[in-house]
Amino acid sequence: MNISRNPTRNFYRPIIGFLAVASGALLLYAIWLCLHNISLMSTKGTQFVGLSNFARLATDWRGIQALGRTALFVLLATSIEVALGIAIAMFLDQDFFGKKVVRAVILVPMIMTPVIAGLTWRFLFNAQSGMINYWLSLAGISPVDWLGNPNIAIYAVLIADVWQWTPFVVLLAMATLETIPKDLVEAARMDGASEVRVIWHVILPMLRRTLGVAALIRAIDSVKAFDLFYIMTKGGPALSTETQNLYGYTVAFTNFDISYAMTIALFLTIVTNVALLALTRFAMPKGTG
Amino acid sequence: MFKTCSISRTVFASVAVFTAIAATTSAVFAQEKPFTGQRLSVLMVGHPTTDAVRKALPDFTAKTGIDVDLEVVPEADSVPKMMLEFSAGSGRYDVVEASSIHIQGFVGAKYIAPLEGFSTKYGEFFDKNDFVPTYLKPNIVEGNLYGLPLFGESSFLMYRKDLFEQYGIAVPKTFDEIEKAAKTVKEKSNGEVVGITMRGQQGIQGVYIWASYLWGMGGSFLTEDGKSALDTPEATKSLETFAHVLREYGPVGVANMGWEENRLLFQQGKAAMTIDATVNGAFNEDPAVSTIVGKVGYAPIPVQTTKPKGGSSSLAVFNLHVASDSQQKEAAWLFTSWATSKQQQIHSLETDPNSGVTSLAAMDSKAFNKRYGAFKTAMLASLSNGNPQYIPTVPQANELVNNAGIAVSKVLAGTTSATDALKEANDLNNAALTR
Repeated sequence: MNISRNPTRNFYRPIIGFLAVASGALLLYAIWLCLHNISLMSTKGTQFVGLSNFARLATDWRGIQALGRTALFVLLATSIEVALGIAIAMFLDQDFFGKKVVRAVILVPMIMTPVIAGLTWRFLFNAQSGMINYWLSLAGISPVDWLGNPNIAIYAVLIADVWQWTPFVVLLAMATLETIPKDLVEAARMDGASEVRVIWHVILPMLRRTLGVAALIRAIDSVKAFDLFYIMTKGGPALSTETQNLYGYTVAFTNFDISYAMTIALFLTIVTNVALLALTRFAMPKGTG
Repeated sequence: MFKTCSISRTVFASVAVFTAIAATTSAVFAQEKPFTGQRLSVLMVGHPTTDAVRKALPDFTAKTGIDVDLEVVPEADSVPKMMLEFSAGSGRYDVVEASSIHIQGFVGAKYIAPLEGFSTKYGEFFDKNDFVPTYLKPNIVEGNLYGLPLFGESSFLMYRKDLFEQYGIAVPKTFDEIEKAAKTVKEKSNGEVVGITMRGQQGIQGVYIWASYLWGMGGSFLTEDGKSALDTPEATKSLETFAHVLREYGPVGVANMGWEENRLLFQQGKAAMTIDATVNGAFNEDPAVSTIVGKVGYAPIPVQTTKPKGGSSSLAVFNLHVASDSQQKEAAWLFTSWATSKQQQIHSLETDPNSGVTSLAAMDSKAFNKRYGAFKTAMLASLSNGNPQYIPTVPQANELVNNAGIAVSKVLAGTTSATDALKEANDLNNAALTR
């Protein structure tokens, strides 16, 4: 009988209870929406349609392709941001002139309003009068159709996303790097290990947990990415930048088909949950790090 | 005693008269501004007309005592916003601005209120005969008036008179002639000036302009019995022609160009032709923003068929409606009739590049002729031939346009053939229509 634990529980249990009830209620409502055919423009009224929304999603070619694009984007964005972020963090870990200024400035992309960032990149990528094509023209390269070519558009959005969110990984990594005991690294260097081996065998394993957390957060955010896609390309050209999230948005707010949009969103949530649980189990097994 | 009596009688008499006067005048004042102190919530679309209304709001408040909270959003976001509020019955907006294509859906779902009763009772700003008849017509459903037109636009062909003269090109009368003209410009200017520029962005932007090709070549969105008509040979040819002329003689990046990018490109003299909304004329002729003032010619959009199902120039009319769940319908009606009144429309010509007036008086005014004389004839011709069904006016309009927009984008980008893309859009549209 541990008397000192009981009072603490009474503080947090009601709050957790409330959150659980709220989440449960919302989830039940979402499922209810999926089982009916609510459309904002429809005059037919709401009917129970069972699983027909899910059946429709299973055969919806546009939805399946959107899911594929989401997977591609999440994979590329997460891996590039984590790798680049770690590299930048390690570079910033050394002492050099202006280090404090650089560390402050590097956070700006992350803090910037996503809509402003999207608009700025849209102007930069403008095929006719954007800065990027201007610089390329100085180097003799003819204008690239960044946002109008279906093969390139998604990579243009990827570049903007990497610019915006790599600082997040840098931040996490920098925090962890500062906790690495310096004598371990010094010892490895004194033993004659090359810089690459020091990084690979000493520093990276210590960052493993951080890498895992950063990758997880970035992956979840990439699935939900909306601002850049909506502002830069609106899902075009030729659907080449339409992710599952954007497709759900279009179904909800352009087609006003609320129930089907909820089905898409619910499906995306389930897929994301499953995929990331698998990632967590793989990347952060208990007992290491 | 007598003196006091007479004084008090005089005082009594004068007080009585004074009170009577005060009562009558305050009754008159109260009748002049019966809705003083009410606050309206209005949702409008970003456009020069809206800017003019916003600038004139203090005048409205002075005249009626009603305060207005004006919310301005881009067109694409306005419909979802008002749909969400209407379907929830929240009563958030008293007045909304929407395109004519939504009227049928709104009336059917009882989202907007009939206005006949208010127009007879509070008609100080209202003059039914002043509105352009083709603009007012979509607002009348089953004999009842449901909205007042705020601005109307059509589309036409704008071309550089100076370049055409220089290269010896005649004004194109068919789509094939447009392509030949674009080719000539591109060759003779060594690619400096683009032959033609049009909106190609996926969604309503591209569809708005492609619709001109569709109707101009004898196609249509829907058949007589309300099924999708996008898989016809006319529709396929129109999409092939549209995509071809843009890919060969259009600007780089056309597949992501919306209204602003397209207009700016032409305004800066980098293209020889463009097909776009009539409001662009106002920008072309404004020396503050345009480098081609006085060098632009205006012509109607070609028709290249002997059996057109509708006009090739669009007729987009935006109207003000009073929401059904507004708690202040009379005040909302006053705002609606004020914003569309001939005084306000004529006044707006002074403050903003608003060439889309719906008032006949405003169109004939001196201010209009002074600013927009250069393209007035072409604009009026496009308006009178304008096609109010250039995109379908059924409740599923948004979804149909969206599917068509994907087809346009795919063909423009070269990933799919016109036949396949349109067949796909056709199937999706038929599914949406039967849902």
